[in-house]
Amino acid sequence: MVTAGKTEPEQPQPGEQESPQATSAGSANGRPVVIDPDLDFIRSLSRQTGESYKKCFQCGTCSASCPISPDTNPFPRKEMAWAVWGMRDRLLEDPDVWLCHHCNDCSVNCPRSGRPGDVLAAVRRESVIHYAAPRFLANWLSKPRFVPLLLGLPTLLLGLAIVLREPIGNALGLAAPTGQSIVYSYSPMLPHWLLNSFFGLFTLFALLAAIIGLVRFVRVIKAPHVWGATGPPNHSFTRSAWIAIKQLFTHEKFTLCTAPHSRPLSHFCVFFGFIALTVVTFWVITGPVNPLLKDGFVYPFSFLSPWKLLANLGGAAVFFGCVMMLRQRLRNRDNAGGSTFFDWAFLWTLFAVVVSGFATELLHYLRMAPHRHVVYFIHLIFVFALLIYLPYSKFAHVLYRTTAMIFAEYYGRNGVRPGVAGSRAQVGGGESRDEASTTVE
Amino acid sequence: MRLVEDKIGVFICTGYGIADALDIDALCKVATEEHNVPFCRTVETCEGPGLDAINEDIANEGLNKVVIAGISPRRYPDYAFPEHVIAEPLALREHVVWSQPAGEEDTQMMAEDYLRMYITRVKKRQPLEPFEAEEAIDKSLLVVGGGIAGLTAAVEAARAGYDVRLVEKTDALGGWLAKQHKSIPTKPPYRDLEETGIDALIAEVDDHPKVRVYTSATTSQIVGAPGLFDVTLTSTGNGKPEGEVVDEFRIGAIIQATGWRPADPREDLPYGQLDDVIRNVELEQMVKDQGRITRPSDGKDVKSVALIQCGGCTNKDHHSYCSSICCLTSLKQALYLREQGEDSKAYVFYEFMRTPGKYENFYRRAQEDHGIFLTRGEVADVKRTGDGGLCVTARDTMLGEEIQVNVDLVVLAAGMIPNAADGEAIRALEDAQVTLVEGDSEAKKKEAAETIEQLKQHEGTEILNLGYRQGPDLPSLEYGFPDSHFICFPYESRRTGIYPTGAARQPTDGLGSRADATGAALKAIQCVEMTSRGEAVHPRAGDKSYPDFFMQRCTKCKRCTEECPFGVLNEDKEGTPLLRETRCRRCGVCMGACPERIISFKDYSVDIVGSMIKAVNVPDEFEEKPRILVIACENDAFPAFDLVGQHRLQCSPWIRVVPVRCLGSVNFVWITEAMAAGYDGVILLGCKYGDDYQCHFIKGSELASVREKNVREKLEQMAMDIERVELHQLQIDEYDKLPGIFEKFTELIDEIGMNPFKGM
Repeated sequence: MVTAGKTEPEQPQPGEQESPQATSAGSANGRPVVIDPDLDFIRSLSRQTGESYKKCFQCGTCSASCPISPDTNPFPRKEMAWAVWGMRDRLLEDPDVWLCHHCNDCSVNCPRSGRPGDVLAAVRRESVIHYAAPRFLANWLSKPRFVPLLLGLPTLLLGLAIVLREPIGNALGLAAPTGQSIVYSYSPMLPHWLLNSFFGLFTLFALLAAIIGLVRFVRVIKAPHVWGATGPPNHSFTRSAWIAIKQLFTHEKFTLCTAPHSRPLSHFCVFFGFIALTVVTFWVITGPVNPLLKDGFVYPFSFLSPWKLLANLGGAAVFFGCVMMLRQRLRNRDNAGGSTFFDWAFLWTLFAVVVSGFATELLHYLRMAPHRHVVYFIHLIFVFALLIYLPYSKFAHVLYRTTAMIFAEYYGRNGVRPGVAGSRAQVGGGESRDEASTTVE
Repeated sequence: MRLVEDKIGVFICTGYGIADALDIDALCKVATEEHNVPFCRTVETCEGPGLDAINEDIANEGLNKVVIAGISPRRYPDYAFPEHVIAEPLALREHVVWSQPAGEEDTQMMAEDYLRMYITRVKKRQPLEPFEAEEAIDKSLLVVGGGIAGLTAAVEAARAGYDVRLVEKTDALGGWLAKQHKSIPTKPPYRDLEETGIDALIAEVDDHPKVRVYTSATTSQIVGAPGLFDVTLTSTGNGKPEGEVVDEFRIGAIIQATGWRPADPREDLPYGQLDDVIRNVELEQMVKDQGRITRPSDGKDVKSVALIQCGGCTNKDHHSYCSSICCLTSLKQALYLREQGEDSKAYVFYEFMRTPGKYENFYRRAQEDHGIFLTRGEVADVKRTGDGGLCVTARDTMLGEEIQVNVDLVVLAAGMIPNAADGEAIRALEDAQVTLVEGDSEAKKKEAAETIEQLKQHEGTEILNLGYRQGPDLPSLEYGFPDSHFICFPYESRRTGIYPTGAARQPTDGLGSRADATGAALKAIQCVEMTSRGEAVHPRAGDKSYPDFFMQRCTKCKRCTEECPFGVLNEDKEGTPLLRETRCRRCGVCMGACPERIISFKDYSVDIVGSMIKAVNVPDEFEEKPRILVIACENDAFPAFDLVGQHRLQCSPWIRVVPVRCLGSVNFVWITEAMAAGYDGVILLGCKYGDDYQCHFIKGSELASVREKNVREKLEQMAMDIERVELHQLQIDEYDKLPGIFEKFTELIDEIGMNPFKGM
């Protein structure tokens, strides 16, 4: 009946309406929940949070000080209790952890230095691994010893592709594109068709993995003992999505944070910088077939081209955002939150992408061959690590958090009720909270 | 006794603003003319150079009794006079000048009255001669109980140079600590389990030349009094026949370190029904014996355990106080299991997790352990599961839901019950048993039978077997713990020279027992030393007076033997009180109780206080100046008047305050005398009584409240209004209530009119 790490809310009867998990009244169907703490899970969380979180004595300060926690069954208090009791399954099935933006108000206010914010971050890492397909890849990505393998693999494959570019190109009937539009290019060494198809292929894999992960995640969210029981939807799905995306773009939730650090700002920079880069990248990829570009497409763009300007601006934003993030993670651990390899891997990869990108650009403008080829190659490897490993790395938060936020809107498990906005503002202060509370459950 | 002629001197301080408020010449005349005091002079101060001048006059004039009308004795930084001089300090400054308007006629009258009262008192006081017992006072100590507290007390007293006899009823020293595998932390950082260290302590006791150890022995009889206790030890079996006398000796004081026994667990849990449900003491024994935690049912190693706290806190009738160590013990036992295997799990269910003081660190350490799970919660039931394990269900947990855990072993934290007997209950039981046989009426026999039914659980519980009229053991406080003055003086018991300590006195751990036992050893040493000098112990420490019974007039009414809070008086078959002076605390409760007024101290008697009361000039009724007699306990209420003055609170000018040792020492003849003398009312100010009593003599003010009722009857006989006597309970920090009390009382007197006996 009991399996390791299982928390068994005994299987609900079909059709039976159930309260969301861990309502204060008792377990799902009034029957006691059988607990067998998963010690490995506890050890893993402890390693990631610095051995501290079991000190939690359930005072609830974390939930009270959280500016974005909902009124009913607020996080992270209940997650702390579950984490203390090693209730792995329940935590992995808890979409609330994705509503947390790790702003760390809770960790700063915790009287036991239990660092609930870091605990939730650690749970999210476990969740990424849990939902990933295949799971072993996510496991690799969370362990430093797999770094050579994870970087070596794309190096090998891309290197192989480059070495074999001519036979493959000939076999596929693809020749290096010629024409006046290409003024100066990498094409002889790294033809566009090769890169596009190489990355296109792996992006498909990554997309597939992301979809599988999301499907698993949404299935959990919709389960009757998770959010599925909260009654009729709050909004239509489209409207929920629209509200959530708006929240993401405005960083509306993130900016409610009061702990002394600049994470919302740095995330803002990286977020929009990355979007700018993505837009430019897609514009370029579609160059040869894009009717809007057909005539004027000159590659590479001149430095003053609006696209180039946008790309450089975006790159600079990501760069500055990354520098801020690295700085506060290194110097302001108490306020900005603890960091694990999972965090570092993602952040340094992003940083490597943007630095190698700028280096490539610089060498490119300076016409410094063959260095530029080597640097561009390195840049591509990091791009691969960033994008293709997305469903397995911390980058997966774009998938899960967005999804969780949309469904939180859909099920009305989001935002602050107008009635309690004042009391929340009291905890952390600031009028911005009241404005934020316009998102009504 | 050498009779010395009284040479009385009165000193009146003019400093402190006293001369500005009062007519000093008139005051001097009260002394010299009214009371014929041969020597009266003014001094500027009564401290420093002023005190030197006073002492010079004492020497030059050969004075042996002095009244110093100046500041409160509590304010004298260097209050010192030659030993033969009886000094009466009168707090004119606090009680008159600071709390009355300056220069008023009533203020002057009050000061003069106080001077009259204090001169009267000093005249009546006799020089003290400390009590000298016929036999030599023995300074050795008896420690009853060989656990951590007893061993510590023995070692501490022996190190201080006192002979100690330690008696232990089992065959080995060490008590509960010797049965433990490890001890909870006793030193910083309070995180790690420690060796108990009991072996070293036992070795020190065994080897110490000043300690004599008796094992397998018990105190079958202790008669006598502090400094003169005669102890008989008899065997508890183990080698010698049970009951055989082991030794007889004399000792000076007793430390009762009889420890505790585990309480029965909650009845609704299957302790005793399922083999794998055990108590914490049994788990401790198991680990001590075999070094591992195994399942009693099949001997397999335990991988998970549920520790259930508060053996009965959920059931208030069962065990209604916190035993203070169970939580720590369970955390310790959880760590035992964790040491047994990396994947072992220990669950602790508690009502309140109590790890006081630095033990918080130990709690944190357990909390941080990956395999220890703590939750508040009420354990609803423990059931056997199919695979031979146990399933524990808990409600109202920190997880916000009802939870179940499957474990190999369930351990119930059993509370501590003191190994103490309620001496007074045993005595009451014996009395009832006698009445049942010899009672002279059916009603009394029926009542006795009911008493026996109520108290039957005390039958045969004697531990110390004291030869005291008020019972063979210490009286009990709440929950069966031996008496102690918890509010003010925790080490004191109501039996002089007997000091309960360790877990017998209050639930405590090893560390607490050590500290407690050291304190008890110190108290016992103080007792034998002071007793040897004929002085009283706490709270009238150093008092050399002692009560004198004028036995020719004793009517054997037994009031003194029954009411003495300290069991000082034994009685013979006829009921004649037998005084055991070294047991006495000098409170005077017997003096207040005695209807024949045959009990007195040389410096405190019915006559002395009565004369003080009568020394006041009571104006006749046409002057419309009522007089209110205030009889104030000198432990709290009387010093409160100092504070009234210090805070410049204005008091009624009609009051005249007389200090008494304890409200229990108030003999109601004073009140009828006061009424006859023309006082319009009497206010008695005593300490708080009840469960958390504050009375230094335990039940003095309670007795006074009982006697007050008798006084009221007496007043009715005199055709007086019973409202003229009031009793108030007052703590020293409630001094600000005093002016209000008097104001209200004055209004009452105005209402009911002046004392009709005035001027008769």
